[in-house]
Amino acid sequence: MEGRLNNMWRLTVNESKFVESALQSELRVDGRGLYDYRKLTIKFGKESGSSEVQLGQTHVMAFVTAQLVQPYKDRPNEGSFSIFTVFSPMADPSFEPGHPGESAVELGRIIDRALRESRAVDTESLCVLAGKLVWSVRIDLHILDNGGNLVDAANIAALAALLTFRRPDCTVGGENSQEVIIHPPEEREPLPLIIHHLPVAFTFGFFNKGSILVMDPTYVEEAVMCGRMTVTVNANGDICAIQKPGEEGVNQSVILHCLRLASSRAAATTKIIREAVEAYNRERSSQKVKRHHTLAKSEVLGPVVVV
Amino acid sequence: HRRQGTSFNRGLHKLGFLSPKPTSLMAAKVSVSPTSLIDQIVVPGNVVLDLSNMTNQTIKLGSGLHQDNDAISAMRAGKLSFCKPNKYWVESSHKRYIPRPEDHVLGIVVDSKTDNIWVDIKGPQLGLLPVLAFEGGTRRNIPKFEASTLLYLRVVKTTNTGMNPELSCTDASGKAALFGPLRDGFMFETSTGLSRMLLSSPTCPVIKALGKKLSFMIAVGLNGRVWVNSAAPRTVIIVANAMMNSESLSGTQQRIMVEKLLAKISD
Repeated sequence: MEGRLNNMWRLTVNESKFVESALQSELRVDGRGLYDYRKLTIKFGKESGSSEVQLGQTHVMAFVTAQLVQPYKDRPNEGSFSIFTVFSPMADPSFEPGHPGESAVELGRIIDRALRESRAVDTESLCVLAGKLVWSVRIDLHILDNGGNLVDAANIAALAALLTFRRPDCTVGGENSQEVIIHPPEEREPLPLIIHHLPVAFTFGFFNKGSILVMDPTYVEEAVMCGRMTVTVNANGDICAIQKPGEEGVNQSVILHCLRLASSRAAATTKIIREAVEAYNRERSSQKVKRHHTLAKSEVLGPVVVV
Repeated sequence: HRRQGTSFNRGLHKLGFLSPKPTSLMAAKVSVSPTSLIDQIVVPGNVVLDLSNMTNQTIKLGSGLHQDNDAISAMRAGKLSFCKPNKYWVESSHKRYIPRPEDHVLGIVVDSKTDNIWVDIKGPQLGLLPVLAFEGGTRRNIPKFEASTLLYLRVVKTTNTGMNPELSCTDASGKAALFGPLRDGFMFETSTGLSRMLLSSPTCPVIKALGKKLSFMIAVGLNGRVWVNSAAPRTVIIVANAMMNSESLSGTQQRIMVEKLLAKISD
């Protein structure tokens, strides 16, 4: 018991009072403006569909994989996707290994709802054999470091991973057109998923009974704030999801203000994500050229015959 | 000795083990003589001193060094430090704190019991602060601290048997001497290396540069916690962020950083 007490992170009275009083003068503890985001870096892994996002101190990784499964009975022509979140104990002393806690489930639900309800991921293109075989896409989100505002970082990681994921090409053939042949990547180029638009999440923290709001709260600010709201918008101005999990009530005008702030930033963040993905795709295709070059070389060498 | 090259140390930097000091890294000389290892990064296993070369000398070994007959080797990764006339030790910077007697630390109250107050000092165990360890403390005027109060304390003793370290809010002679609860202000957590740098004398360059233009109070705990207070919240934020960013900078770089920061703010 004492060990657990020792490893908890505690918010001192000094910190909570200071954060609140500084916000009265529109100052944030790390020197940012009220609506400024921390530095965002998007990196990609070796395999397609893996991304790593850093938003300030917050560090999240996303992995996208796909499997051929039987479709749901009521949607025989559509593939499916599902989101799994792993809150690693190395991210925060309060995360426990094993069964995901409430905040993990909530994070997964916000991202899942934004992608599903707005039909950002095209599920009909994931159908291979109607009623028999469809692709089921699985997004795994791993939280590596909790520096505050996990939802936004995890959302960007999921989008980046979905944009760079490539699924194997498959053709239907054989007698009765019932056989499915999955082509390995060397035979046929794997295909990207069809993503119609990018729903980006923006989280707001409320202070002082809802009269002060900040964007992208850090860990300390999250511990002090009295309420929060996440708005998921896309670059076209469509609101894909809003999540306000109870806590302090806020005025209607505040909610509209948040929606406007989020919509005004959606285009910029979408551009950052797309640019990162494009840079990665360019690099990957240039690497592929090198690979074919070495393959061609080895064919020429052939067997050495000693007479 | 030869392997004490740059790529290994760069790997350690990536692990967050060492504060990146590019100048000393690039200049790491590959040499065997012991005196040139002073102020260089050493890793566990490096033989830092060869006693067969130094007869008739008394040498004091500090933390991080271990004697193996004639060879003194490093047990920890860090910078080998030397203080005249004969003290050697290995200094490293960590996020966790190992309590040592006579260290001044910043603790957070966890719970108050009848005899002791449990305080979190970022160490492997909670510290115990006796209720009477205050100036003029008697059973009649036991102080009551709420949970999450920030205190400035002194570590009195630690035992090797894994028992909780004992703390006190008085100095060795029983006076209060600035120990006790810290009110208002802002506290942030850093590494032990930064705390030691902020406490070094002569005054650390970043504090000196900030002190020229701003007036503020700080309390630095050797356990990696720093408390800043000032009349204006703006000053507190500037000071806190400047100190947080100064760990890996040299003296002149710190001064330049602070000057740039103050110039930008006053625009």
